[in-house]
Amino acid sequence: MKVNYLPKNRLKFPYWKRILVLLVIFFAGTIVFSFLGSTIVSLVSPVWEAENVIVSGENVTPVIDRRTKSGLIVATVLTYPPQTPYDIIIIDIGSNDSVVIGGEVSMSEGPLLGLVSEVFSRRAKVKLFSASGEETSAILERNDMPITLEGRGGGNFRISLPRDMEIEKGDRILSADISARLMAIVEDVTVQPTDAFKEVLAKSPTNIFALRFVFVAP
Amino acid sequence: MTRRVIGSIFVLLSILVLPYWIYIPVLLFAIIFFPFFWEGIILAFLIDVIYGSGVEALPSFVSLFALSALILIIILLPIRERLRF
Repeated sequence: MKVNYLPKNRLKFPYWKRILVLLVIFFAGTIVFSFLGSTIVSLVSPVWEAENVIVSGENVTPVIDRRTKSGLIVATVLTYPPQTPYDIIIIDIGSNDSVVIGGEVSMSEGPLLGLVSEVFSRRAKVKLFSASGEETSAILERNDMPITLEGRGGGNFRISLPRDMEIEKGDRILSADISARLMAIVEDVTVQPTDAFKEVLAKSPTNIFALRFVFVAP
Repeated sequence: MTRRVIGSIFVLLSILVLPYWIYIPVLLFAIIFFPFFWEGIILAFLIDVIYGSGVEALPSFVSLFALSALILIIILLPIRERLRF
């Protein structure tokens, strides 16, 4: 009769120890990194500043008077997509410059870009409205219809509208507040014969892959 | 060991200065290439800490990239022993 014995020095599943080590690293990292966000971003910022100088080929001097007449604060964009995997930008002002979470961020020409999502002492993260899964109330300019813009990443948006609603390529989508600032421009309209809704794809009016300065509402 | 340290530094630098469509494949390659690349979890944490977590479905304290790296390394543990690099 043939009997198979397990070797004495070999476990049935020899990976438990290593899996345990990985789990410990993961949970320790979750705790440690949740406290280190501000420190790490501060440490890394000089790398981005140097990179911006090298890429743009000019020495970007720090903005001395950041306040504009309208009360907005000018900020330099340190890093932007596609360096960030989500539609998030990091700017060079923070709580020291009275930036708060939820502050509106826009371009100098007016288009609204996103909201401040995290604030450190001298840096802040801005989540763009086009970030994947981000939902924002807006107005379709053509017929003053309130809509919900759904972020798709890469400066793109998706909107679902009733199929009878009139909409064309180039239509403007404005913010739902009283200032009615430009948020997106319709790029493509798709409707299937069997669908009750039409799918509208819109694009941010600015190139989010080449942002250099933004305006932040304190 | 030296290759592993150089590899980790290269991944770190690519996270800091290169687009995500380069540093994510680089990190993936490092996890596959180096045996038991636990540094990959730390580097994946860095991506989410620096650039922010944009995944609404997960709680804010859970890093999507670190979780993915953890799962990948665990999956690769038995597979690596059957492969020869």
